[in-house]
Parts: sequence; C-alpha cells; structure tokens
Amino acid sequence: MQKGKVIGFGLVAGILSGLLGVGGGIILVPVMVSMLGFAQHNAHATSLAVIVPTALVSSIIYSFHGNVDIVLATTLAAGSILGASIGARWMKRIPADQLKRMFGILLVVVGVKMLW
Amino acid sequence: MTTIAIALTTGVIAGVLSGMLGVGGGIVLVPIMVFALGLSQHIAQGISLVVIIPTAAAGIWHLHKEKLVDYRTAGLLSGGAVVGALISASIVQDIPAVALKKIFGTFIIIMGVRMVLAKKKAKMEGK
Repeated sequence: MQKGKVIGFGLVAGILSGLLGVGGGIILVPVMVSMLGFAQHNAHATSLAVIVPTALVSSIIYSFHGNVDIVLATTLAAGSILGASIGARWMKRIPADQLKRMFGILLVVVGVKMLW
Repeated sequence: MTTIAIALTTGVIAGVLSGMLGVGGGIVLVPIMVFALGLSQHIAQGISLVVIIPTAAAGIWHLHKEKLVDYRTAGLLSGGAVVGALISASIVQDIPAVALKKIFGTFIIIMGVRMVLAKKKAKMEGK
C-alpha cells in the first residue's frame, strides 16, 4: 500500500546521507515513528540496517574521488565503537535531556561558524 | 603516532556523544574532523561515511538479537536510500568545499535548533 512512500522516504534519506556524509537516521527514525507507527527502539534498530548499505554506497563514491583516508577512518571507527558502548551505558544514568539541549546549542554555534 | 592518538581520542569522544545522545556519528564526527583535525569538508564527510558503516553494523549485531530490526521495511527504505546516495554522493564531488561547508553548517543549525526545541516540547507533555 504505502510501499512507494517508504521507498520515497528512503530516497530522501539517501540523498541527505551522500550530500552530508551522515547516516540518514535523522530522517529515517522520525519517518518510521510517525508514518509507519514504529516504536522508537524498533525505528532506531531498523534505521541502522538502512544506514549500512547507504553509507557503503556513498563511501565507495567518495573514495573513487580520493575523499577517503582509510587509515584515519579505521582509527576513528575503532575509537567510535568503543565510545558508543560507553556512551550508551552512560545514557541510562545521566539526564540526557539537558545534555541534548547543550549539544543542540553547540551544533548551532558550530553551524554558524561553518557559514563564515 | 600522535595523529593516531588524536584520531582515536576523537573517535571515542564522537562515539560517547552519539551513544549518549542517540544521534548518528556523522553529525558529531564531521565538525570535529573539520575543526580539530583540519580536514577538508569532502574528506571529513567521506571518512564519516566509512566510520558509520562498522559503527552501525555493530549496533545491528546487538539489536538483531533483541529482534528489533524490521528487515522488510529496512529493505524498502534501503532501496530508495541507495539510489539517493548514488545520486547525491556523485553530485557532491563537484560542489566546491566552501559551499559544501555552508550546506553542512545550515543542516546542523537546523538539527541544533530542533534538539533545543524538542526538549521543551517533551516537558510540556509532562513526560
């Protein structure tokens, strides 16, 4: 029924991912929650299964143009996986709301800096 | 050696932040790479995409066991997403770094504002 719609949202997420070098979860998760009635946890988990092939395709194209440093990427990935498991554990103990707000403000500041 | 140490530390910081905030690694990683590691916008985004692959795959590994992944929906979304990524990742290579930086900057400003406002909304709902 809404197959076409779902593919369409995937398309938008993919365009964002390739354009900005992000996973696309920012679009995928809210779409699954609000349009498909997914629970937050399921939407998050399912978005990861979309992000892997999407990021793979994008990164192959970036690497064709010499825009990937694989050594640096591997090192960052090692740190990131380690950090993510620490962060996920901390999330349960620390008030994430306040942190999220602070991070939001930081993003705005960094974003404004990038405009100049 | 120092570069590796810095990169590893950067990765851990990005990972902790994304794990705690529930945001993807890219939105954290790209600005850090541009400002702390001095990389160009294109390379920062390319590296971010590579880093996202194993990070997301590790996430699936945990969540698959809890049966939280809906593979049918993931398949449909991926069909669209892969095509979208093919198009935009190709186009982006011809966008000048200065312009791309501005596009990315605009994107994170929107995300930042959304994160700040989302909290207030949750509060009003009393959750």
